[in-house]
Amino acid sequence: MGNEHTIKSYDAELARLTAEIVRMGELAASQLEAAIDVVERRDERAAQRIVDNDDAIDALEHETSHDVVRLLALRAPMARDLREVFAALRIAADIERIGDYAANVAKRSIPLSMVAPVAPARGLRRLSDLAVAAVRKVLVAYNSRDAQKAHEVWEEDVHLDEAYTGLFRELLTYMMEDPRSITACTHLLFMAKNIERIGDHATNIAENVWYAVTGEPLQTPRRKGDVTAEPVMPKLGG
Amino acid sequence: MSANVYRRRYAKNVVAQALASAAALLALMFLAWILWVTVSRGVQAIGVSLFTKITAYADQGGLANAIIGSLIIDAMAIALCAPVGVLAGAYLAEYARGTRMGETIRFLNDILLSAPSIVLGLFVYVIVVLPMTAATNGSITFSALAGSIALALIGLPVIVRTTDEMLQLVPSTLREAALSLGIPQWKLTVQVLMRAAGSGILTGVLLALARLAGETAPLLFTAFGNNYTALSPLAKMASLPAAIYQYTNDPNPAMHAIAWAGALLITLFVLALSLIARAVFARQKTSHE
Amino acid sequence: MNDLATAVQSVLQQPADATRVKIAVRGLDFHYHDIHAVRNIHMDISERKVTAIIGPSGCGKSTLLRVFNRIYAIYPKQRADGAVLLDGENILDPGYSLNRLRSKVGMVFQKPVPFPMTIYENVAYGIRHHETLSRPRMDERVEQALRAAALWDEVKDKMKKSALGLSGGQQQRLCIARGIALRPQVLLLDEPTSALDPIATGRIEQLIEELKKDYTIVIVTHNMQQAARVSDETAFMYMGELIEFGNTEKIFTKPDKKQTEDYITGRFG
Repeated sequence: MGNEHTIKSYDAELARLTAEIVRMGELAASQLEAAIDVVERRDERAAQRIVDNDDAIDALEHETSHDVVRLLALRAPMARDLREVFAALRIAADIERIGDYAANVAKRSIPLSMVAPVAPARGLRRLSDLAVAAVRKVLVAYNSRDAQKAHEVWEEDVHLDEAYTGLFRELLTYMMEDPRSITACTHLLFMAKNIERIGDHATNIAENVWYAVTGEPLQTPRRKGDVTAEPVMPKLGG
Repeated sequence: MSANVYRRRYAKNVVAQALASAAALLALMFLAWILWVTVSRGVQAIGVSLFTKITAYADQGGLANAIIGSLIIDAMAIALCAPVGVLAGAYLAEYARGTRMGETIRFLNDILLSAPSIVLGLFVYVIVVLPMTAATNGSITFSALAGSIALALIGLPVIVRTTDEMLQLVPSTLREAALSLGIPQWKLTVQVLMRAAGSGILTGVLLALARLAGETAPLLFTAFGNNYTALSPLAKMASLPAAIYQYTNDPNPAMHAIAWAGALLITLFVLALSLIARAVFARQKTSHE
Repeated sequence: MNDLATAVQSVLQQPADATRVKIAVRGLDFHYHDIHAVRNIHMDISERKVTAIIGPSGCGKSTLLRVFNRIYAIYPKQRADGAVLLDGENILDPGYSLNRLRSKVGMVFQKPVPFPMTIYENVAYGIRHHETLSRPRMDERVEQALRAAALWDEVKDKMKKSALGLSGGQQQRLCIARGIALRPQVLLLDEPTSALDPIATGRIEQLIEELKKDYTIVIVTHNMQQAARVSDETAFMYMGELIEFGNTEKIFTKPDKKQTEDYITGRFG
């Protein structure tokens, strides 16, 4: 942030909003990490704790929305401040979704732990490492209002998409080879899709950071790494 | 801070308040005293004859000719100085705003405002009475006209000053509003500003009248005085202040009583004018808020 | 189907940019005594649009507005140089008659200043100076102006009463009626609501929105929200210079200049 507002408490409120969002984002990233641990450790009770933890993120999102409405009503923010507050509202919503997906991964680990483990579960770790890195990086970009860094996150989503496509194919191959693995692989497939969605939300956040800082929408066409929905493999559906 | 400091401050405040109140009471006491003496002594001589008999009857008479004379002289004086004063005030406030010329005239007007009235009387004696005497071979000497010119010179600066100030009090946005409609300056001054400042200007005129009604000195060398009723502005004319001056110089106490009655009349007249002026001004204030 | 076709046609036939420049300011400088209050301003004010001028106190925004009808000329030692073209004619040219200028450009001030006359006379007074109208025609014009200023219904039964008895908001609308009674083309508003309560302010803002169908409006305001609410274009001035001028939405969401952004977001030290 540049120079300060004439009214100091206004700065304090904006700073509080940023801090809330960063905290919320950090919480969501940790949830995802914990969820992947749980998948690997096949720990049912820990999984349930992660699912319950999601309430904390929801509560923070609630608080953020409240703060945004209050800022809009009482401070009537303009220009950069307006973009900041508007972006904060959208970023909070994205983080809330990230939290939901992380909780979902944890939830699916419970039925997954009931069936025999399958090999591609390791690929999930790589996917989630990318997603967690993207979330953490975009939070840093947000906290320092670094449009360039946000743009990098946005660009890097293609790697996540590629990793997802790879895992998708791997899981399909497994299922075709050994129909007994279909239950486990389906759960893994949904988890992978959830994590891929987390990456999309990280890009949304990057777009909002870009808008808050520059005032322009981020809209140069991006390379798409997720080709699972494209008719390259018609026999496998989508 | 300790209670001691507060107590000391409180004591200082009490002393200051007591001194100020005492000073105010002292001033008020003299005013009340003057009014009491005037009323109590004046009331004794007030009767029908005061208004019906003329000064020629001396202690058996009244002030009828002086009352009529004062009314005529004062009316003529106001008729002379009000239009000139209002226009001059308008010039200062509207046309000479911020110019050196305006500042000079305002300064000279203030000097005239505080000039001793006897000087003005002598001035009029020299520029009106003497030339008139010479021009008419002595058939017209002192005159009511000369008296009202002298009084007009006393009222004039009062009216100039109040008109100037009243017009300056009119917000400049009213001027801008009228000018932005394309209204020319003279129309603006006469039709908008004078109307906006109307009651203030009228108050000034009334106060000028109150001021000149009590003047004695300028009349002694100009209207002179007359023991009979005169109506011609070119004749010597009696006036209340001059009659009071004349009667108080008389050893006869009955004459003094009549003088007190005359003083009471002037006091009541001035009081009435002040009250009217206040009422007029108050009306303007309420209608503008 | 036919209706749809004509509707589409009418939309397509509209010129892409229907606005026309009403006032073109070219290299305007303004001096009070030897203070250089407005510096080298260039701006185009669009016809039938609301243009807001914002900026901190003393930035020259009112001064700029007061050049547009040359009201500054009543004070000595104030001087404007450069050109202000109203429909292509330079109003600063001494040959441009003040009478003509002021019948084309009306002005409303910060404080409502009705003339000390009846409500009817307040509106009729200005018209009478420019035109000679019969009594019924004058009545008509006064009613039109009061209706346009959204005041008619409130005052139609007390036209002969003093205008000083009206409320502040009504007085200000009367001043607007007085201005538009002359059928000007441009209406200058110098902080027209700063002395009014929020409800009266809302009425005036609604009125501005209606008036822009017929008039080119330039408004100077301290209230940024007001500029954002009522204007199509916004100019930001600082220390006598025009820092930024453009579409209001753009100025209030993404101004180009840092000074504009600092002012708008309340970061002015």
